[in-house]
Amino acid sequence: MDGGMSYQRFPKVKIREVKDDIMKFELRETDASLANALRRVMIAEVPTIAIDLVEIEVNSSVLNDEFIAHRLGLIPLTSERAMSMRFSRDCDACDGDGQCEFCSVEFHLRAKCLTDQTLDVTSKDLYSSDHTVVPVDFSDPNEPGEQRGIIIVKLRRGQELRLRAIARKGIGKDHAKWSPAATVTFMYEPMIRINEDLMESMSLEDKRSWIESSPTKVFEMDPITQQLKWHLKLEVQVVGSRLTGEEGREDASYWLSLFRDVPMLPVKVVAEPESYTYDDEVIKKAEAMGKSGLVEIEAKEDSFIFTVESTGAIKATQLVLNAIEVLKQKLDAVRLSDDTVEADDQFGELGAHMRGG
Amino acid sequence: MDPLPEPVNYICGDCGMENTLKPGDVIQCRECGYRILYKKRTRRIVQYEAR
Repeated sequence: MDGGMSYQRFPKVKIREVKDDIMKFELRETDASLANALRRVMIAEVPTIAIDLVEIEVNSSVLNDEFIAHRLGLIPLTSERAMSMRFSRDCDACDGDGQCEFCSVEFHLRAKCLTDQTLDVTSKDLYSSDHTVVPVDFSDPNEPGEQRGIIIVKLRRGQELRLRAIARKGIGKDHAKWSPAATVTFMYEPMIRINEDLMESMSLEDKRSWIESSPTKVFEMDPITQQLKWHLKLEVQVVGSRLTGEEGREDASYWLSLFRDVPMLPVKVVAEPESYTYDDEVIKKAEAMGKSGLVEIEAKEDSFIFTVESTGAIKATQLVLNAIEVLKQKLDAVRLSDDTVEADDQFGELGAHMRGG
Repeated sequence: MDPLPEPVNYICGDCGMENTLKPGDVIQCRECGYRILYKKRTRRIVQYEAR
């Protein structure tokens, strides 16, 4: 780190994997406070839409009204529209009665079992007044015939359920049903250094038992050389500079040539450093074998590896983008508040930085 | 308060007969004399918060 000389930083994001509901990315050149703020905003402050009010007309099922209302609330609804919707408490146009296009969506459910076979009432039986806000579809595209709605209740012959439900915009901080995140985690990137002289001094048997002492597969034995397996990674040696190329060039050789003068150093990396769970087992094992100092592991305090899993209400990528947007809005609120101006002395350099944008 | 106290329907716990009771009536089935009666669900719409 730069010793706190400047508060201004330019975090870098590298996307590793993107699927509809899962995203993995690296966040670098920032600190844990920002990484954790981002994580917490994703879980508790990115808005979605969920059923919030239920009006039950008929319910002769085995589940009581409250129970069914609670289950309806927990059904994830597609919420791409949530960021641009209004919270019903801020909506001037209505009182959140479901008739208002700005803050609520109305659902209807009518189901009656007329046969001797048990009837499953699922999220697919909910009829939405807005085609952009519907229960999340979990059906497998490989098996189109299979019904995969979320079961709300089961009905036997003669039982009936009839209700109207109103979905509203909300955030996970108010109730977990509004959280768009199934899990959001980040880990520190480990820096694993191995004393190769000490490693050389070990017998094959010892090396093997040391490698196997790790509960997760961090190290590997090369089956041919009978040595610890390494990967080579090219690491850019200049931090903070930026490469700019001509727009529109599509030939790979042009882009590669831009890197010609960038100093890069090959770095040796063990098989799977990110499998390390900071369990210290390999360090203890090395000590027990009388080889303390064989391995040194530290967490890089400015790099984070994020795993984001969405409930399906919004895409994982959108969840990350929305979280950044929400975080920016919160920072704007701090910057614009009168208290901040008065507390400038207290904030010192941070206040100056915020005014400067 | 209410000028006309509405009679309420109950179901007998023994014979299943439907009974209509007014305030002050003895709680007893007219058919079989059983003293446990069950109130029927309201026909009105009921509202719940989904939380």
